[in-house]
Amino acid sequence: MSSDAPRMRLEAADVGYTYPGQPPTRALDSLTVSIADNEFVALLGPVGCGKTTLLRIFAGFLTPTQGVVRCDGTSVDGPSWQRGYVLQESAIFPWMSVRENLEFGLLAKGMEAEPRRAVSDELLRLLGLSAFEAAYPKQLSSGMSKMVEVARVLATDPSMLLLDEPFGALDAQTRAKMQDELARLWEQRRKTVVFVTHDVEEALYLADRIVVLTARPGRVQQQFRVALPRPRPLETRFAPEFSALKRQVWEVIGASSSVYAGRT
Amino acid sequence: MSLVQRNRIKRALLSLGAIAVVYGIAAEIGRWVLPHRIWMDVHYIDNVELLPTYQSLAEELAFLIQSWILPSSILVSTGRILAGFLLGSVAGIVVGLATGRAARLEYVADPWTTLLRFTPALALLPLYVIWFGYGEASKILLIATSVAVVAMLGAHQAVRGVPQVYLDAARALGASPRLIFRKIVLPAAFPQIFASLRVALALAWVTIVVAELIDAKMPSLGYLLALAGAYPRVPQMLIGLATIGTLVFLSDMLALSLHAKVTRWMRRTG
Repeated sequence: MSSDAPRMRLEAADVGYTYPGQPPTRALDSLTVSIADNEFVALLGPVGCGKTTLLRIFAGFLTPTQGVVRCDGTSVDGPSWQRGYVLQESAIFPWMSVRENLEFGLLAKGMEAEPRRAVSDELLRLLGLSAFEAAYPKQLSSGMSKMVEVARVLATDPSMLLLDEPFGALDAQTRAKMQDELARLWEQRRKTVVFVTHDVEEALYLADRIVVLTARPGRVQQQFRVALPRPRPLETRFAPEFSALKRQVWEVIGASSSVYAGRT
Repeated sequence: MSLVQRNRIKRALLSLGAIAVVYGIAAEIGRWVLPHRIWMDVHYIDNVELLPTYQSLAEELAFLIQSWILPSSILVSTGRILAGFLLGSVAGIVVGLATGRAARLEYVADPWTTLLRFTPALALLPLYVIWFGYGEASKILLIATSVAVVAMLGAHQAVRGVPQVYLDAARALGASPRLIFRKIVLPAAFPQIFASLRVALALAWVTIVVAELIDAKMPSLGYLLALAGAYPRVPQMLIGLATIGTLVFLSDMLALSLHAKVTRWMRRTG
């Protein structure tokens, strides 16, 4: 690696994970990947390829059964707010108001009420949810409540974001809107992002780099750099470069996995 | 008051009204048709009204209120319910939260909770009389016991049922176990704990009527019923039953409206 290469934030070296059971399930196998500072990386792969497993290892909820994961040079042992993790399932706290949700991580840090409020004020404004500060999450759409979860993690100012299919459960239209929302938020607050998805277009639209994983046990099949200029307006989705790249990705996916065979 | 509650009251009043009309007619007919002399144990009793008319019920109610018998009985029995309920629910919730949180405690507590859950608290009555005496303490502790068992099971299961995703999300945000317990486990478990308290409150009323048969003294609703049976005075029995029924209904309504207030965050269906 040359000295002017970007600093590596997160590195997975030869990582494998096997779920115990009868028979044991091999979710990941000898996976090596590194993520640079402030890079937006999409982990793309078929359902059940171990994307979520890898993200839970990054988040510190699982310890790899093989290999090692390093964050800023030190090996990951256990969860930390420094690696802001947004779960795949809806995990917004329904008994807290939108503001209390946004402030929870700051409360955990022991921050006083006043500075907490300043942070949540700004995030509410960024999300356009100032009118909903006292509302309970049940009053939000599922798309917006997911964005609150992302913002709740951003509030603690972590060094990176780990997002597990945040928009997987949304309809196509809402999903596109939330992708724009996330892109906008990311422009404001540049962070290292690892974004798990099985949606090729979503990966292309959001990421700087796409890491394609094979079917289980997951390992890195191929990587694509997405050199589309930012910010990416709606037209990006219809640009010839976008389509060309999309085709390339589909070809790789279709070649490897029976799951996607015939869908390119 | 929510729409659900208002509908519930409306339906309850309708049903009560219909039954009241039917009863009134039956009682008037019964005055002519039913026997006024019944065989009880070893002798006959005269001037018995098997189905008291509204007039005799009204006279009896007026007597019970004017003599201060009914109001004082209500106050005394309600006081016992409150004392036993508070004691039992606090103890039950504390133990249930602890066993719900700590796997090792559950290991110890599990066979005991299974055993207790199927033991009617009233079966403990003779034991309690020996242990705690023939008086107030036994009655209150008996109510506390039946409340505690229900509350403990409710709290235990509520804590176990807190979705893992909330615990994971809180941990990922850097929350300490203490903060997670206070801000995640407790509020997430709260609706189910409250639901079990509602059941326990109704059960407390069942327990008190029998518990008041030990050291039976006026004033108390349980003894009021027992006395009415001994004499026998059917109007007094019916008024006693209606009083207990009304109190159970009112306390349940109170619990329900509190429940709605403290769980505003929940998604409501219907």
